[in-house]
Amino acid sequence: MKRPLRIALPKGRMMDQALAIWSRVGSGIEDGSAASRRLILPSADGRFEFLPVKSQDVPSYVEAGVADAGVAGYDVLLEHQSDVLQPLDLRFGGCRLVVAAPAGAVYPHLNGGTTPRVATKYVEITRRFFAGRGVQVDVVYLSGSVEIAPLLGMAHWIVDLVETGRTLQENGLEVLDTVAHSTARLIVNRASHKLRLEEHQRLIRELDALTRDTQAPSLTGTFQS
Amino acid sequence: MPNERISRIPPGSRDLLADDVRRRREVQSTWFELAHSRGYDEIIPPTFEYEEVFALAAGRDLASRLIRFLDRDGKIVALRADFTSSIARVAATRLRTEPLPLRLSYAGKVYRQATDDGGHHREAFQLGAELIGDGSAEADVEILRLAIDTLTALGINDFQINIGESRFIEPLLRDFPEEEAERVREAIDRKDRATLEGISGSARFQTPMFVSLLDLIGRAEVLDRAMVLAESDEAWAAIARLQEINSLLAPEERARLVYDLGEIRGQDYYTGIRFEIFIAGAGRSVGAGGRYDGLLGLYGRSAPAVGFMLETDAIADHFLRQEP
Repeated sequence: MKRPLRIALPKGRMMDQALAIWSRVGSGIEDGSAASRRLILPSADGRFEFLPVKSQDVPSYVEAGVADAGVAGYDVLLEHQSDVLQPLDLRFGGCRLVVAAPAGAVYPHLNGGTTPRVATKYVEITRRFFAGRGVQVDVVYLSGSVEIAPLLGMAHWIVDLVETGRTLQENGLEVLDTVAHSTARLIVNRASHKLRLEEHQRLIRELDALTRDTQAPSLTGTFQS
Repeated sequence: MPNERISRIPPGSRDLLADDVRRRREVQSTWFELAHSRGYDEIIPPTFEYEEVFALAAGRDLASRLIRFLDRDGKIVALRADFTSSIARVAATRLRTEPLPLRLSYAGKVYRQATDDGGHHREAFQLGAELIGDGSAEADVEILRLAIDTLTALGINDFQINIGESRFIEPLLRDFPEEEAERVREAIDRKDRATLEGISGSARFQTPMFVSLLDLIGRAEVLDRAMVLAESDEAWAAIARLQEINSLLAPEERARLVYDLGEIRGQDYYTGIRFEIFIAGAGRSVGAGGRYDGLLGLYGRSAPAVGFMLETDAIADHFLRQEP
């Protein structure tokens, strides 16, 4: 007997949204078990088991085949460039990766030809984005609270994720440019997709029908450059 | 106390000892026993070659992953990144007067640059075979059969080969400018339906083919569906070849094959069949192969050829998982 398809989910709000979608295809988890601290949460119908992990780690689990599939933000996929299938845009968890800076900042070139410093969690995306624009920048990696970097003089601009824009506003930052639109994506391990084709095809079909029917089409995640 | 500077080894390299060695040597000895019984003589190409040998053959990905250094005379050499390229060079140069077909087998290491984010090796054991000088479907089947029999001889029962045909997709991609073709190729490779629908729907490319590619996976009935969709002589020839292969295989061999026309992984030099090998429990493919009728010509002797490769390390890891 094969084990159920194992789905890696990013802990937090995206996991709740994902579990809600799975429950609408009849494969939710038992009430209350999301709050338990179990390593793996089985779906009530036995088709799936869910593996809650840190959002940035979802692609690694899926690429290694520890999970058969997973849900990951397009921003995370762009940053990590993992070797996984990306069959479906799940059309939730929408947000934007933007370039932001204190109000009145000069962009995309600094006065006097100074090389801009850009603080971000998304080092790879930032490098590629500015390279695509033909702008040379120094990228400074920060693992959090990126929005304070310009206020402290650590960077001229930041590249960060915004949903509502409130954090930016509170720190006196303005959006200068859009790097990418991001939504939640279904990702699938390559070998698992080949070896358990029918199960994956069924899941993709079900999720596709659901996300097409009931939600407004999202901004697609094409990389603007 | 060990000297820390000395006891660290470069990322992506490793020492293999004891059981890790035993498993690999067992795989190799099973392999050579079978290969020799089928008339495939072992060849040991050099560990480093002039970089052109690999750069000529390789696609952009492999070319960017060569481990290169300057030779005494200032020429650039690269560590062996791909056995097939080296063997094609030998067959086209030193063995150029040998009568065809040539049957050659190998086992050893390839060396490739890898990202340094952990878990990626820069040297890996592979084994495999090349059948050079025979362009027929029988030759394709001989290599597929050799791959199947190798896995069976290794005691691996739960495996599958996904096979596609380069000529089915390539004609479609020729309509695109290079950069866009790359994007389409990536979308096919990732089974990214949304992007492919965008392409199929755009006025310039009124072809539902790209989306259909995602569903052209399965047993022989897939080939009938694909034949209906084939729009060019090349695509038609591709499907005809796969049908011929299907009819040449024994039923138990056929059961191992999944026709997968969206299969575009693998080396850029593949011109005909291309396949990937999967075993249950492994998170990625453990082998690959295909037909490369244009490769020897790059080294000066045109000849059709077909071959396959298994990742010895992945097979050894599989045995490790099986052990109590």
